[in-house]
Amino acid sequence: MASTLPLWILVITALALTAWRSRRYAFALANAPAAARFDRPMLRLQGVMVAIGMHRKMLRKPLSGVLHAIIFISFFVLFTATIDAFGSRLFPGFSLAPIGGETWIAALQDIFSVLMLVGVGLALYQRYVLRPARFDGSSGSDAAIIYVLIVLIVASLLLEAAARIAGGADGSWRPVASALAGLLDRAGIPAHQGEELFYWAHVGAILAFLVYIPGSKHRHMFLAAPNIYFRSLEPRGLAPAVPEAREAPGIDSLGQFDWKQQLDLLSCTECGRCQAVCPAYAAGLPLSPKLLITDMRDALAAGPSAAPLVGGVISEETLWACTTCRACMEACPVEIEHLPKIIDMRRHLVDEGRVSPGLQEALSNLTRLGNSMGKPSKMRARWTRELGFPVKDAREEPVDVLWFVGDYASYDPRVQEITRKVAELLTAAGVDFGILFDAERNSGNDVRRAGEEGLFETLAQSNIDEIKACSFNRIMTTDPHSLNALKNDYQHFGATFEVLHYTALLAELIAAGKLDLHVADGARVTYHDPCYLGRYNGGFDAPRELIRAAGYTLHDMPRCRENSFCCGAGGGRIWQGDDGVTERPSENRIREALSLGDVAYFVVACPKDKVMYTAAIDALGVADRLKAVDIAELLVPLTSQALEIPTVETT
Amino acid sequence: MNILVVLRMIPDSAGELQLAEDGRSIDREWLDFQLNDFDDHALEEAILLKEAGGAKVTAVAVGEGTNRVLQMAAARGADEVVALQAEEDAMISSREIAASIAAMARAKSADLVLCGVQSSEDVFGQLAPYVGALLDWPHVSGTNRIVANGAVLRVTQERGAGVAVTYELATPAVLGVQTASKAPRYVSGSKLREASKTPIGRAAPESSGFERSAEIITLRLPVQGGSGENLGGDAETVADRLVSILAAKGLARN
Repeated sequence: MASTLPLWILVITALALTAWRSRRYAFALANAPAAARFDRPMLRLQGVMVAIGMHRKMLRKPLSGVLHAIIFISFFVLFTATIDAFGSRLFPGFSLAPIGGETWIAALQDIFSVLMLVGVGLALYQRYVLRPARFDGSSGSDAAIIYVLIVLIVASLLLEAAARIAGGADGSWRPVASALAGLLDRAGIPAHQGEELFYWAHVGAILAFLVYIPGSKHRHMFLAAPNIYFRSLEPRGLAPAVPEAREAPGIDSLGQFDWKQQLDLLSCTECGRCQAVCPAYAAGLPLSPKLLITDMRDALAAGPSAAPLVGGVISEETLWACTTCRACMEACPVEIEHLPKIIDMRRHLVDEGRVSPGLQEALSNLTRLGNSMGKPSKMRARWTRELGFPVKDAREEPVDVLWFVGDYASYDPRVQEITRKVAELLTAAGVDFGILFDAERNSGNDVRRAGEEGLFETLAQSNIDEIKACSFNRIMTTDPHSLNALKNDYQHFGATFEVLHYTALLAELIAAGKLDLHVADGARVTYHDPCYLGRYNGGFDAPRELIRAAGYTLHDMPRCRENSFCCGAGGGRIWQGDDGVTERPSENRIREALSLGDVAYFVVACPKDKVMYTAAIDALGVADRLKAVDIAELLVPLTSQALEIPTVETT
Repeated sequence: MNILVVLRMIPDSAGELQLAEDGRSIDREWLDFQLNDFDDHALEEAILLKEAGGAKVTAVAVGEGTNRVLQMAAARGADEVVALQAEEDAMISSREIAASIAAMARAKSADLVLCGVQSSEDVFGQLAPYVGALLDWPHVSGTNRIVANGAVLRVTQERGAGVAVTYELATPAVLGVQTASKAPRYVSGSKLREASKTPIGRAAPESSGFERSAEIITLRLPVQGGSGENLGGDAETVADRLVSILAAKGLARN
C-alpha cells in the first residue's frame, strides 16, 4: 500500500521524539541509587490488580472513580482499533478480521467509542463545572490538551468507520458509525477521501498523544502500574532507614533519591487527592503534597539547575509544615511515597542545623534529658505519687505487661490524670504491670520524622537496652506515637517486641471479663482516630469496642478511620510555631465534631490529642458544648463512681 | 588565633533542688547538670570567630557531665576538648577555677579566653575579671558581638535600653560573653555520634592561690507558694466558686 512508507516514517519519527522527550527521566532513573523493591512479586502483582483492576482507591471518589474506570476500560477496548489502524498499514495483510475484527470487536469499538466520550464528558463536567479544590495547582492546560486529543482520536475513529460504511462497507456491527455514515452522506463528504482523511487524523492524533505523553501527567498510563508494583511493602509505620551508601543522613539533590522515589515523581497524575486530605494544606501552610511532588518532578524534568533542592525547589517552610499523618499516602491512587521524601529532606536540614528555635529547643531537651519538655528524668514517674498504690519498677522485678508511658502521659499535667486512670484500670483488671521510671526516654517516633535520625538512634538504643534488660511478656504504650516507634521503627535495630496500645489491652481485658465497668445509657459520643494508632497501625476497632462496652453510642465523624483528619501535632509539628496557620487542624476537627450536632464528648486515644483538642475547644469557646475526653476516662470500673455525662442539646 | 572557651556545668534549674545536710549547699547527688547558657553562647562566639577568620578553638569544661558537653563542643567545631578536674559535688567557684583557666590559657598559647558573662553559681560574673587579672590581660564582659581583625578585636557590649558600646582592644584578652552574634546552632544527633569518638583531654586543677574572703553561711530555697486553682469551664461554676472563695477570705458576704 502506498501509505506504508509514510506511516513508517511518521511512526519512527514519533517514537524518536517520544524517546527524546523522555531522555532526562530515563537518565535520572538509570543513574539513581538502588532501592530494594524486587521482592515478593506475587504480592506486588496482587496489589496492582486491586489498585488498577478494582480501582480500589480511585472509587473512594465515586464520580472520579467511575469516569476513570470508563475511560480506562474504553482505552483497552479501543486499543484494538489502534492495533488495527497501525497494523493494517505498517504490515500490509495484517488484519484483526480473522478473530472478529469486523464483527464483535467492531461492535465493542463502536460502543466504547461512545463510552469514552461519555467518560471524557464526565471528566469535563468534573473539572470545569464541579471544579473540586483538589485540582488547584494542577496543570489545567495539560488536562485540556489530553481531553482534546482523546476526543480527536475517538471522533476520527468513528468517522473513519462511518466513511468506510458510507463507501459501501458493512455497518451492521457498528451502529454508531452507521448513524454517522448517514450524516457524512448528507454533508456530502466523499466516502473514500473522507476515510483517508479520518484515518490520518486518527493515527496523527494517536502519535501526537504518544509524543505528548512524556511531558504530561499522562505518563501515568505507563508508570502507574510499575509505581504501584514497586510500592513499599514495609510496615506503614517504619520510616525509611538512611542507606549505608549515603554519606550524610539527608538528601539535598534530586539525584540522591533512589529510583523508586524518582519514579514516584514521574507517576503523579495531579489528581490532588493528597492535597484534599492534607491537614497542613487545610491549615493554610505552604504545603500541598501534590505540589511537593510536581515541583520536584518539574525540577527533575528541567535537569540540573542552580537552585538547591532543599530550601530552593522545596522551601524549608514546606518541609516543616508536614505532620507526617500519612493521609496523603493513604489517598494516593498510584502509591506515591510523600513522607520518605519529606523525612529525607528534613534530615538534611537537621544535619545542617537549620531548625526553628522551637524545634531546636525540643531536640536539645531530648538530647540532654530524653524528653522534649526539658524536665528531669527523675520527674518522669512523678505521676505515680498520687496513685493510691505503688507501681512496679520493671527494671527490678518481672512483670507481665511493661508499660511504656511516653512523654506527654508522664509529664503533661493535663494528661497525668488520664495516665493514672489507665493505671487504675489495669489494677482493677488485675494486670501485673510495671514501668521503666526514669530510664524511659522519648520513643523517638517524632524525632525520627522530624529528620533527626542520629538522636532517634540514641533514644531508641537507650530504650531498647532498658527494655531488653527487663523481664516481661508484652509492652503496652499510652501514646500511639510510642506504639509506632516500638513496634515498627525499632525493627531497624533488630528489636521485635510485642507492643500494643492501651486501647487494645483494655478491649482484651473487657472481652475476657476481667474488667467490670459502669455502663452509660447510650449517650452519643464521637471518636477521633489518632494517625499513629489508626492509619499507621490499623488500630481502628479496639477503641470503638471500648466506647461500646462503656455504654456509649458512637457517632463517627465524616472523616474517620483511614480518612481520619490529623490533629496537627505529629511529626514534630507540636514543637513548631503556628506561624502561617490560618485554621489549626485541631480546630477544623472540632468544628467537624460540632457539626454532628448530638455529641457531648470528643473521645481521644492519644495523650497529644487530649492536649491539642482541649486547647482547640477552649480556643473556639465551645467548652460548654463539647469536651475532649480520653477513652480511659469513659471506662469507669464498678468500684469507682460513675461518670456524669453532660447533657447536649441536639442541633 | 588560639581561643580558649570555658564551659561550666550547672545544676538543671528544672530539677528539684534540695539543700545538703549542712544547709549551705545544694544536694548535688540527684541533680541533672546542664551547660551554663552563657557559656553556650561563648562557645558559639568562638566557633563563629573560627568560621570567620580561622582559629583553633580549645574547649575546657568543668563540672559534672562534661564528657557529653565536650563532645557537643567538638561536634560544633571545637578543635580540642579538655575536661578540667574539679572538686566533686561542689559549686563551681570562679575564684577557685580562675588560676586553672589562666594556666591553661598559657599552656595553650591562647590569644583569647571566652567564657559566659555569669553563671547561676557566679551571678557576679567574676570569672572573666579573675582570669584577666591573673593573666594581666584586658577584659570586657557582657559582650554581644565580637569581631576579630588580626590581633585587633572589636567587642560590642550591651548597656541596657538599647545602648551598645564598641571597644577596640588587642589580643590577648579575656571576654565574658552575654550573647553570641548568632544564637547557638543546633548540632544533629549524627554529628554528636561522630564526635563521641573525639579524644577528651584531662587537666589537673591548679591551686587557686587566693585566701578565703567570704563564705556561704546559709542557703535558702524558694518557699513553695500556694498553687493556682482552676475554677472550671462554665460561667456559673466559676461564679459560684469565686463567691465562696471571696466569702471564705472574708471579702464578701455569702
